[in-house]
Amino acid sequence: MHALIIDDSRTMRIILNRILTGLGFSTAEAGNGQEALDAIAHGPVPDLCLIDWNMPVMDGYTFVTRVRANAEHRNITLMMVTTESSHGHLVKALAAGAHEYVIKPFTAEAITEKLELLGLVRNGALA
Amino acid sequence: MHPTTHPAIHVAPGAGDVMAMVNEVWSTFVDAAPLFPTSPIEADRSRSAQVRVTGAWSGMVTLEVSEVAARAVTRHMLAMSEITPEDVTDAIGELVNMIGGNVKSLMPEPSILSLPMVAAGHIAVPSEATEVTRLDLLWHDEPLILRIHSLENDTRSTP
Repeated sequence: MHALIIDDSRTMRIILNRILTGLGFSTAEAGNGQEALDAIAHGPVPDLCLIDWNMPVMDGYTFVTRVRANAEHRNITLMMVTTESSHGHLVKALAAGAHEYVIKPFTAEAITEKLELLGLVRNGALA
Repeated sequence: MHPTTHPAIHVAPGAGDVMAMVNEVWSTFVDAAPLFPTSPIEADRSRSAQVRVTGAWSGMVTLEVSEVAARAVTRHMLAMSEITPEDVTDAIGELVNMIGGNVKSLMPEPSILSLPMVAAGHIAVPSEATEVTRLDLLWHDEPLILRIHSLENDTRSTP
């Protein structure tokens, strides 16, 4: 199962990469929404995207709307991982098509729990 | 009919709330949380990182750390012994981004969080800004200062 980590912070990409590879995912990284769209266009298409909200060039919300506008990508699971913790942001992201929402700072357990809820992980490994 | 102006509600984040956020960020991504020093510490602003909040509440959240602390924090966050100056800049920026995002959540909405700015030395704040919250902390004997400035007039603390 392939995951794309989208965050302008290399630090955060490294932390998330460590969590996901520990669960068995193969991973790729993008520094903003546009880079992520390019990565998806050139393949491989990820099964899961972890998406920061505030990024230069293209933010995470715009990325979610762009992915959801493409029917070919309806199977990609989208999970926001962001410092934006307001109810308004959460509602907006979910309405745009994000499946889950994690607020920074997060623990590996919190990410794993969300992935279990999404059916991608079971008992600490890929489902 | 006379026009009526309604002054906006302007608040400052309480020091206790901010300290709780710092503790959560540190304990999640670094290690033991910073402590309040038992005696005055000498500020070391070798590295500064700042995010700005603009909207119903406007202000700045600034983290100032020594070079030793900045490098140690980065090694903890990345779980790497060999790090580059770019790693340090990114890690410190992400720390202030997380703290700033949580500060923003305490303030009146809507508002926008900027991308983090990181610099060697001190980052200036606008002359009209008022320091509303300041935490002088120690982490592994290294100074760490978190300052919150408001661009509003009213600086009441949140309950």
